[in-house]
Amino acid sequence: MKRWLAVGLLALCATAAQAQETIKIGVITDRVGVSKPYSEPATDGLIFGADEINRKGGVLGRKIELLVEDDQSRPDISAALARKLIDQGAVFIVSISLTQATQQQQTVTMEAKTPQMTPMNSGDTLTTQLPNPYFWQTGPLGSIQIATLLAHARSKNLKQVALITDNSDLGQLLGRFFKAGLEKSGIQVVADEVVARGATTAMPQMQKIRAARPQAMFMAGVLTAENVLIFKAYRELGLKFPIHSSYNLSVPVYMTVAKGLIDGVTFVDAYDPEKPEVKQFEAAYRKATGKTPYNLNGYGYDGIMMVAEAIRRAGSTDKEKIRAAMQSLTYAGVMGAKGMKYHFPEGKRTGFDPNGMVVRVYEGDRQGRVVHVGQK
Amino acid sequence: MQDFLELAVSAAASGCVYGLVALAYLLVLRPTGIINFAVGEWAMIGAFAGYVLLTRFEWPYPLGMALAAALLALVGWLTERLTVRPLVERGAPVIAPILALLGMLVVFRETISLVFPPDPLPVPYPFGLGRLELGPLAGSYQSFFILAVTLAVFAAAWLFFERTVAGRAFEAVSLNRRAAALMGINLSRVTALSFAGGGAVASIAGLLVAPNVSAHYLMGVPLAIQGFTALVIGGVGRVEGALLGGVVLALAEQLTVRYAPIPSGYAQGVPLVLLMLFLMVRPGGLLKARA
Repeated sequence: MKRWLAVGLLALCATAAQAQETIKIGVITDRVGVSKPYSEPATDGLIFGADEINRKGGVLGRKIELLVEDDQSRPDISAALARKLIDQGAVFIVSISLTQATQQQQTVTMEAKTPQMTPMNSGDTLTTQLPNPYFWQTGPLGSIQIATLLAHARSKNLKQVALITDNSDLGQLLGRFFKAGLEKSGIQVVADEVVARGATTAMPQMQKIRAARPQAMFMAGVLTAENVLIFKAYRELGLKFPIHSSYNLSVPVYMTVAKGLIDGVTFVDAYDPEKPEVKQFEAAYRKATGKTPYNLNGYGYDGIMMVAEAIRRAGSTDKEKIRAAMQSLTYAGVMGAKGMKYHFPEGKRTGFDPNGMVVRVYEGDRQGRVVHVGQK
Repeated sequence: MQDFLELAVSAAASGCVYGLVALAYLLVLRPTGIINFAVGEWAMIGAFAGYVLLTRFEWPYPLGMALAAALLALVGWLTERLTVRPLVERGAPVIAPILALLGMLVVFRETISLVFPPDPLPVPYPFGLGRLELGPLAGSYQSFFILAVTLAVFAAAWLFFERTVAGRAFEAVSLNRRAAALMGINLSRVTALSFAGGGAVASIAGLLVAPNVSAHYLMGVPLAIQGFTALVIGGVGRVEGALLGGVVLALAEQLTVRYAPIPSGYAQGVPLVLLMLFLMVRPGGLLKARA
């Protein structure tokens, strides 16, 4: 009798322990490196999302536990951290760091057959260089950005434009996408300039652009300080042509560091403040943190929501089942134009709808209305 | 011609910032023989001090600038006391403090990145965003302000070294530390003051450039590289060499971007090419030390 009591007690303890056991999600972010300005708010959004999920009872009756690691945007460190997280029991890894670091993590997740997703990297090559069925990219691709911006610019009947970017890896990558997209549309790039990281002025580049007499200027740079230098030189030289920018201008920091310089600048964004999901997210985030969220918070939030949904649909933490559930997922989140849903049709692993981006315009120093939606 | 003159003003302003960072190197290097690569981070802290004092607390610009310089003088002095002096007193080779200061570079940067948000922070212009035309020369108010402040700082440094007893003591230490000590010059005091002076000058560089580039935690290393290149070009023998080196470097950078028939991305290599050329062909820099 005593023996049966002991066995029953052990079984009860084991059941309780299982109920208490968390679902571990690995997060690789950048807390000190070049991606920090993007990674940090996205990670905040992800943490907020995980708290919200846990407050509502978790996933499969278990709480989500985030294992957060900092890779400093260094690919060499990043792969080792992916291995560490998998060894610690992470069933999914969310990558919120530099594109190259995310790419390096894939060498580990592919070999360890562990699901991995990046909710905000925009490099087009992340799902094309490695045939990794365990990896998904849900942020808008660089090519979608330029296509959306070009669709907006097409209505302006542009023939000759200038292009300016910075010398960061991502800035160079976006610059190439922009140039290829412009030329494919039959628009001549009459000046193609680069502002180096750490520059103290963009005056020579803007003088060259002025001399080329473009009808408009496209900005592909992602370094805030260097972009502000461009705006300052534009203003100092009294230039008037319109500026169309990459999603980098969608980060609210420009409203303070480029005060008085950005009125009328159009920029691509994946965030429509009029979308019902956005309004709901903003209200909940503000209530929980006291801060008003913005697009970068939304990327992280959508990322963890999709991971949780995939695990829920998989019905277990079996990585193969999660992979299958993720691949067939359709999800309406905070990011994207009204009505947009993330999905991965025909085995594709990029989930952002190509028509899901919007073009917005700065009105004074504020991010203003949506002036264009999608690529049509 | 209008382009060239506009660019000359812009390059002169950038060159002044490089020159100030080079001067911060020089102030430490001459009496101690130590190359302090953390000067860029001192400039970065100066920019953040500008953000706190001028943007957050809205202090009057001269007062904010003076306090930022004083604060960085204190940081420089503490850096010497806490990281350099213990090594020197234990008879460590000269490479030891250089490596320790490289470590401090990381400490300064990480501390700022932990204390402040990751996005660039605005630092106000003392005279706004306007454009000033002086005869054929035209540039932003800030460009002319940078020129004026830099000339004042270099004039003060020149007067200090040439016309004051304390400055002569610095020169004596830089010529021969042992002989200077035998003549009764307090080496520890000179070393501490050189670090404090370097900190103050670096903070002025950071504060002057911050309205253009904003205050951000990654701004230090590029400034340190530009200042070091300016120092190599100008030469470590004379104070005015730092300014000359800075202006030559900035002119070479900006004229190449504007006029050289190469993609502007390649113009980034100009400082590196200049650095290598000077190290190989004229390692003493443009200005030699006086006999």
